[in-house]
Amino acid sequence: MTSRRNFITGAAMAGAAAVSKAAMGAVPEAPQQSSAATVPPPPPPNGRPYNPVVTPNGWSLPWRMKDNVKEFHLVAEPVVREIAPGMKANLWGYNGQSPGPTIEVVEGDRVRIFVTNRLPEITSIHWHGQLLPNGMDGVSGLTQPPIAPGKTFVYEFTARHAGTFMYHPHADEMAQIGMGMMGFWVTHPKDPRQHAVDRDFVFLLNAYDIEPGAYTPNVNTMLDFNIWTINSRAFPGTDALAVRKDDRVRIRIGNLSMTNHPFHIHGHRMEVAGTDGGWIAPAARWPEVTVDIGVGQMRALEFTADAPGDWPFHCHKSHHTMNAMGHDVPNLIGVDHRGVARKINDLVPGYMVMGDKGVSMGGMRMPLPENTLPMMDGQGPFGGIEMGGMFTTIKVREGLARGDYRDPGWYAHPQGTVAREWTGPAPEPVRAAAAPAAPDEPVANVKRGDGHTMHDGH
Amino acid sequence: MSAHRHKRAPQRRHRTAPATLCAAALASALLAGCAGVTPDHGFAGVADSTRERIGATPRLAQDAAAAQELQEIVRAELAAPLTMDGAVRVALINNPGLQATYWNVGIAQAELAQASRLPNPALGFQRVSGQGEVEIERGLNVNLAAVLTAPLAARLEARRFDAVRREVGAAIERHALETRRAWIEAVAAQQSLDYARRVHAAAEASAELAARMRGAGNIAGLDLAREQAFQADAAAALARSGRQVTAAREKLTRLLGLWGQDTQYTLPERLPDLPDAPAELRDVERLALARRLDVQAAKADAEATAASLGLSRTTRFVNVLELGYAGKSERSAPSMRGYALSLELPLFDWGGARVARAEATYMQALQRVADTAVTARSEARESYLDYRSAYDLAAHYRDSVIPLRKRISHEVLLRYNGMLASTQALLADSREQAGAVNAYIDALRDFWSAQAALQAALGDRIDMPGAQPMPPAANRHEDHQ
Repeated sequence: MTSRRNFITGAAMAGAAAVSKAAMGAVPEAPQQSSAATVPPPPPPNGRPYNPVVTPNGWSLPWRMKDNVKEFHLVAEPVVREIAPGMKANLWGYNGQSPGPTIEVVEGDRVRIFVTNRLPEITSIHWHGQLLPNGMDGVSGLTQPPIAPGKTFVYEFTARHAGTFMYHPHADEMAQIGMGMMGFWVTHPKDPRQHAVDRDFVFLLNAYDIEPGAYTPNVNTMLDFNIWTINSRAFPGTDALAVRKDDRVRIRIGNLSMTNHPFHIHGHRMEVAGTDGGWIAPAARWPEVTVDIGVGQMRALEFTADAPGDWPFHCHKSHHTMNAMGHDVPNLIGVDHRGVARKINDLVPGYMVMGDKGVSMGGMRMPLPENTLPMMDGQGPFGGIEMGGMFTTIKVREGLARGDYRDPGWYAHPQGTVAREWTGPAPEPVRAAAAPAAPDEPVANVKRGDGHTMHDGH
Repeated sequence: MSAHRHKRAPQRRHRTAPATLCAAALASALLAGCAGVTPDHGFAGVADSTRERIGATPRLAQDAAAAQELQEIVRAELAAPLTMDGAVRVALINNPGLQATYWNVGIAQAELAQASRLPNPALGFQRVSGQGEVEIERGLNVNLAAVLTAPLAARLEARRFDAVRREVGAAIERHALETRRAWIEAVAAQQSLDYARRVHAAAEASAELAARMRGAGNIAGLDLAREQAFQADAAAALARSGRQVTAAREKLTRLLGLWGQDTQYTLPERLPDLPDAPAELRDVERLALARRLDVQAAKADAEATAASLGLSRTTRFVNVLELGYAGKSERSAPSMRGYALSLELPLFDWGGARVARAEATYMQALQRVADTAVTARSEARESYLDYRSAYDLAAHYRDSVIPLRKRISHEVLLRYNGMLASTQALLADSREQAGAVNAYIDALRDFWSAQAALQAALGDRIDMPGAQPMPPAANRHEDHQ
């Protein structure tokens, strides 16, 4: 791991040194961001006005205007991203972060983007979803020569259609996207009132395979990812989406992982307001509580935050709301450990029975390998949320200030609105009469829990 | 030696020949101090040199009282777990085979004492009568050659006595080495058995867990059978390990010469720890040449053959020299007295063949010394290198393999904690750790065995390796070569 890191750093330094000062003088500054905190964007300082988006755990890239062209400067480079407190990853990204900064432009903007490669290998950038001249499409080998390490390329085109877009390399994608090279792109409508919402969030879904105890994703992994992330953050590292009650909220999601993600909202019904192709006419929008976002797709979801509270918003694939768990851990559910646990404990001091009643740790914290997140460690006001990965909360509150995206803390429930323990006599459950088994039907080896409560030997 | 007949020996008196008396007195003077049988049967010297060389004192069970005393010493030694040195101490006083060997010293001493004594003179008397004549012959005969050669013979016997003492010393050292090895094997086998038990326990726990999982409907019969097969193999390995323990312990018991109740002795649970550093011996070859009994024996043998060559040269004629008193008296004639002397004329046999044989034997002995020295040097080098590499290997296990295995086990447990690894993975790791520990025990066993072999090859103790870089023996004996 160390040697690979050194290799990357060394190569990156060589790349940086190779950028000539004369060339750098002509290009705009490349701002850097190393914090994983959400940076609420300022209103646009120049150019056409627009309502800026918020990138949870991310930021938007400043630009400079030159001859009426918006000039951005992206630097592709190795970065260290905190996936969640307690875990850092050696990733590749842009301008100090993975994902790279969100690029916000306005429909009709002339855009010039300088791309400097400080990676140890060639790269390119593809502007996912943009309609642009073929030579600006960023496919190395096909539409342009690759950007060699240390070189700076420039892309220039007009952002023709308002909508939701992404950027990512189209060179060695398996490694480069697998290492976290991606970013969001929003083209705002010319008329800021068009499709205007109160809060507009954007994030990318990505996944990594980082061996527990390691720091660098395995770029050869095809499907068995173990870290499922929103903007390269895993719950409980994901920032909550703070929303004022009755705000019209938009969440734009791009999927750059290798599988689909059915995103599910609690307490609200949302509708799909935009796709990769653009905005959907209001009459054609689908009301949903779960929206599946396919690989390489983007969706803009909208809802009115009319229900105060702390509402989960998460991928509905249950293993995507968990952090790393072993793929070949056998199922111990319902397995009685009495007696055998002590035997194992004699051989392996420190052994504790787990998994015999389910995978919940019940708030138990145990030492883990270095740089490894607990599977389900999110904590809430009532205890363990037992979630990880692609999970965040939408915190709907009365009277939040416009532009205030700070976490308002846990929701204070009005009296009598929280589920509680029933202490009266339990009503008799109604059961269907048991159907007799067919004579030749194999009898499943089913055991009901016998209710033993203590792990033996501990 | 033949008696001489003297006709009509004088009846009144006779006197011993002055020459005979003279020779006898000379021989007695030469032999003074060499002769005699000591109460310890000559074993004290052997015991002393052994104590110095192997750190344990052999004792001769020369009578019932001594046997009783030795028995008590043995019992005291067996009361606590038997150490490696303790095992050697017990073996040296308790092994009957070794005790039998000890008596060789007594036998050799007795033979030396025998050789140191002058042969008894022979008195001859003969009376013949007939026709009025009586003829009496008297003769006092001493085997003059035996008298003359007695000092040399005694020296030869003394050398033989020395050789026997060395042989017995060598037997003791061999026995001590075998005992050390057997002790090391027995303790290591016992330790390995503990680890076989651990492996089996892990396999058993794994199989039991698998059976529970099967019972809960979580795994297939195939997986259960695989776990049970593994446990069955581990049980076989455990049984094999138990046999190994029995064999190793019985071998040790034999070398200790124990039987009956005494076989219930206990051994330490573990081999001694690896020393912090191996012994640094700068000149093992010189040490070996100075200290090894086989080298000393070869040298002594050459010296002995040199002496016997000298003897052959000086006695090439003398051994046929016979000297006697002669006296003759006849009733009809005055008594006569005188002596008789016969001397072989070296016309046909000049003794050259005997001398040549002795010379050849001497040259052979010299070459044997050289050969023994070459072998001793080589064995010293080999056993020292073996000792060092055995140390390095054991240290490698202690300093690298075992800590890494522990690290791995710790990491696997952390992964288990995070539900990143299974219970079976934990148990499999515990088995692998046991295997590594077992390999370390093997390496440690090889080290102690190599150390014992090195001691034998150098004929010296290597106490507290590292603490004593150069045994003082090396200095004591450096002028031997």
